[in-house]
Amino acid sequence: MRFLRHDLHSLVGPYALDALEAGSERDRFIRHLSRCQSCAAEVKGFREVATAMAFAAAAEPPAELRDRVLTAAARTRQLPPEVRTHARPRRARGSVPWVPWLSGVVATASIVVAVLFGFAQAHTRDELNQLKAENQAISLLLSAPQAKLLTHTVTNGGVATVVLAADRHELAVVTTGLPALPSGQVYQLWLIGKPKTVSAGLLPPAKNGQTPAVLATGVVKGDTLGLTVEPAGGSAQPTTTPILALPLPV
Amino acid sequence: MNPNDSDASRFKSAATDRRGERDLDLLLVHVARGDTDAFEAVYDRLVGPVYGVIRRVLRDPSQSEEVTQEVLLEVWRTAARFDPAVGGAATWVLTIAHRRAIDRVRSATAAAGREHKTADVHTPHDEVAEAVEASLDRERVRRCLEGLTDVQRQAITLAYYGGHSYRQVAELLTVTLGAIKTRIRDGLIRMRDCLGVS
Repeated sequence: MRFLRHDLHSLVGPYALDALEAGSERDRFIRHLSRCQSCAAEVKGFREVATAMAFAAAAEPPAELRDRVLTAAARTRQLPPEVRTHARPRRARGSVPWVPWLSGVVATASIVVAVLFGFAQAHTRDELNQLKAENQAISLLLSAPQAKLLTHTVTNGGVATVVLAADRHELAVVTTGLPALPSGQVYQLWLIGKPKTVSAGLLPPAKNGQTPAVLATGVVKGDTLGLTVEPAGGSAQPTTTPILALPLPV
Repeated sequence: MNPNDSDASRFKSAATDRRGERDLDLLLVHVARGDTDAFEAVYDRLVGPVYGVIRRVLRDPSQSEEVTQEVLLEVWRTAARFDPAVGGAATWVLTIAHRRAIDRVRSATAAAGREHKTADVHTPHDEVAEAVEASLDRERVRRCLEGLTDVQRQAITLAYYGGHSYRQVAELLTVTLGAIKTRIRDGLIRMRDCLGVS
């Protein structure tokens, strides 16, 4: 069965209420959604309606459920913070013009250079798209009203540059001049804090001495950004002494 | 309906208060870092609507309790995936809750040979008495639902509270598939405007 675009669009209501059965129709709608910003905005609004309907149906569960859930949570491992080396393509935040933030945030010149240099080095369309996406993520971060730029030397050589958007709990990291590692080793970023330290991702391989931006979420008050050398693939917790420990002003 | 009337602002303070939502967003960020106090606070804020909506869909109290536990554990486990840019924390959690309830009801009815529960068509509000501390939300939602056409209201309540797919809703209301899609969407647009959400 073929769908006209209009038919597809009118599925936004059933979709937001989870009333599309699993199958090709829902798959097709989800694909449409990834390309349709107005649909995404509509889904968001409809889900808020659904949320109000859920609040309107609120009911008190048995009291013992609370202890059961909290006990089970204490035994359940959490997924680590999401780490992205490229932007979320479906994000409908709108594009941020280059010029205003370039002129406004002069101190970000080193990142700008890194990013632009990346463009010059990109060969395939995929590489170019990826770089554009990275740029967008970082320019969005820079355009956050409270974004701060931090730079810090790394113990065994090189400099880390961090753009911290505390209000969004996000940061981006680029590095310059880190010593190349033997194969089998990687640089890994950490958010060192309470109640625990979590991985903030592996540094991608350097191009011309610079590592592409790593974007990390879930930054909270009291965190220190750490960098260690770890076995290939990274570790669950740091296994070597940090060569960078940058307290984050969140 | 005027979104600035006192009823509308009271509704906002009860369920979609922007500052309250932001607090909840921040709590979830802390949950993602393993903060159990933050998780307890999220539990206390959201377990009522989570359990309530699951129970509306599943009806069976013990299954509802089980799914509620699954949902809250999923919130704990995947809190790092919560993205405030996509929507608020309450909406993120309640979307998970409703989806889990639907998954359960579809797998159960698929196994049992699919029976339609038509009771919901005429009594969409029959369980309101057991709801707690949500009377303002309830009143506001009830009034907005009453502002819809009969078909819009029945389609939305059958789909959301009844857990029916839009195909089933079309059969239950003897309306064509094309018409039911449009009724649901038009009804949700009216609800959105009436509730004053974005």
